[in-house]
Amino acid sequence: MNSDTKSLPKGAWVDLVRCMQLSRLIEDRLVRLYHQGRIFGGVYTGIGQEAVGAATAMASGKNDLLSPLIRDMTVHLARGQTALNIFRQYLGRATGPTRGRDGNVHHGSAAQGVYAMISHLGAMLPVLVGGVMARRRQGRDTIGLGYIGDGATSTGDFHESVNFAAVFDVPVIFVIENNKYAYSTPNSTQFRCARLADRAAGYGIEGITTDGNDAIALHLLARELIASIRAKPRPILLECDTLRMRGHGEHDDSSYVPKELKEHYAARDPLRLIRDRLVKDGVAKAAEWDVLERDCLAVVDRAYHEALADPRPDPSTLTEGVYADA
Amino acid sequence: MPMREITYLDGISEGLRRLMRERPDVVIYGEDVGKFGGAFKVTLGFQEEFGVERVFDTPISESAILGSAIGMATQGLRPVVELQFVDFGTTALHHILNNAGTTHYRTGVPVPMTVRAPCGGGFGGGPFHSEELEAIFCNMPGIKVVYPAFPSDARGLIYSSVLDPNPVIFLENKYLYRHVKELVSEKFEPIPLGAARVCRAGRDAVILTYGAMVHESLRAAERLSADEGHEVMVLDLRTLKPFDADAVLTAVAATNRVLIVHEGWRTNGFGGELAALVADRAFHLLDAPVRRVAAPDVPVPFAPELENVYRPNAERIEQALVDLIEY
Repeated sequence: MNSDTKSLPKGAWVDLVRCMQLSRLIEDRLVRLYHQGRIFGGVYTGIGQEAVGAATAMASGKNDLLSPLIRDMTVHLARGQTALNIFRQYLGRATGPTRGRDGNVHHGSAAQGVYAMISHLGAMLPVLVGGVMARRRQGRDTIGLGYIGDGATSTGDFHESVNFAAVFDVPVIFVIENNKYAYSTPNSTQFRCARLADRAAGYGIEGITTDGNDAIALHLLARELIASIRAKPRPILLECDTLRMRGHGEHDDSSYVPKELKEHYAARDPLRLIRDRLVKDGVAKAAEWDVLERDCLAVVDRAYHEALADPRPDPSTLTEGVYADA
Repeated sequence: MPMREITYLDGISEGLRRLMRERPDVVIYGEDVGKFGGAFKVTLGFQEEFGVERVFDTPISESAILGSAIGMATQGLRPVVELQFVDFGTTALHHILNNAGTTHYRTGVPVPMTVRAPCGGGFGGGPFHSEELEAIFCNMPGIKVVYPAFPSDARGLIYSSVLDPNPVIFLENKYLYRHVKELVSEKFEPIPLGAARVCRAGRDAVILTYGAMVHESLRAAERLSADEGHEVMVLDLRTLKPFDADAVLTAVAATNRVLIVHEGWRTNGFGGELAALVADRAFHLLDAPVRRVAAPDVPVPFAPELENVYRPNAERIEQALVDLIEY
């Protein structure tokens, strides 16, 4: 697999690191705020899985559509979402992407081509497939990136969506983030196939399993696959091997995950992997990452405090916006 | 203007055909709706006229059909999808309730999609091809529910439903498809959603109804007029969500006696909502308790001997009217 860091300009790699670094710092802050009792509702993070969303979404183009899920903060950031809007969302502010109508990970941006997930796993995949079909009927060269976990590959929506996309040659990469656990349920209770990408054969499409913690190789692969399905429209299953490093949410200590497994993936932290690799290849210096990390931390601090000062929803607006005006 | 006779099914087809000709953003898809023209032939000839990009068949995938329609509607198209039978839509209700119904409230993005859903019994369809599920849809925020009873209304309401910027469940009564005919003119005006229509005048009582039961109610009213000389008003709601509360209250004020008739199940049926409105806002106008004629709380039975006593009909409606007027 190609993981040649010389095949892209330095800027592309720095952007990728920044996306992952910012995501990590936003989520670290959210975790802290949750345990301090300063977040209303839950906190669900993608800590340790940043490479999957960042490497794939940063390979997408302006007209493309994406449907991120719970662990995909990096997808939102890659598509242009701001730390400020993310904190507004978590703090339920009237200025946030859902104006206090919805919370935490349930947000998107039509302008950025990002669908706002609902909690029913699998349910965003047909929406994404339909969105891509619509844009292509309007003459755009849109492709889709549909994110899904190992657990949600067991849903009917997953099956229907992949089959639907296969039948109509809809260019969508179904990015399966195999993080080994669906809440507390391990892969062994979720499916019997050796690899989830093996299912592709049953749909008559291509399936690939790859390392979900190696952002460099995954980004190069995603660019290649996206160019390929744009040129020859068709769906692909892309299974990314990773591990959920925290609980399902911060209320969950994930004590059911074996210690050795956690240690194995902790040693392959995706953010550290890409930073070290780029230093080793002479693309960047370690000191640059320190500066970048400080910059990101300043962004997080500023965003949190600004969001905190924003207004909460006005209770008198409760019934507004249920319907669109004719 | 020359008039011609069309069926209820023709009404839906004509409304859809006009939309397809006028609006390039309208697409139609579902199971067997393409070359085959749909299980009931509502879209017969559409694929030939408008092409496979705009009229196409799908796998048997209610979730993918409804979910993809949400995706299309949020990207500038106006999808009209057909559930072959409303009964089958229950395998994918989460897309209507949680996806389509919440999208605008949560994100501000409109979802102009229409779900055509043949429903109702009276033809031996049994438990899974005869259901009336309007009450389920009417309980969902962010969804509109339309249910015509006449060919002209079907034509004008499908037109307005597709142009509405919200998700619309368009219920089509299968029994009415070919049983109800009406003289109509070639040209038609769209019929606004949320407007009921008095389809029979009367001062002794009012029947609040919709769908196939409009016709059973009209028959009952005619029989009662002939048998007893009582004149009963029939109000066809036409849209169930949002429904025309003003028209209901006006009718109650004019008649003082209310019978609610629907083909769906009684418990938690849509009639309960109508009765609650009348109790809340027109209690002082009533000369008798509000009564309901609805299906009993049993799965839709297959054998005619059973379905005949399951499904409300003119005879039972007439008896309920007699009881109501003699109260």
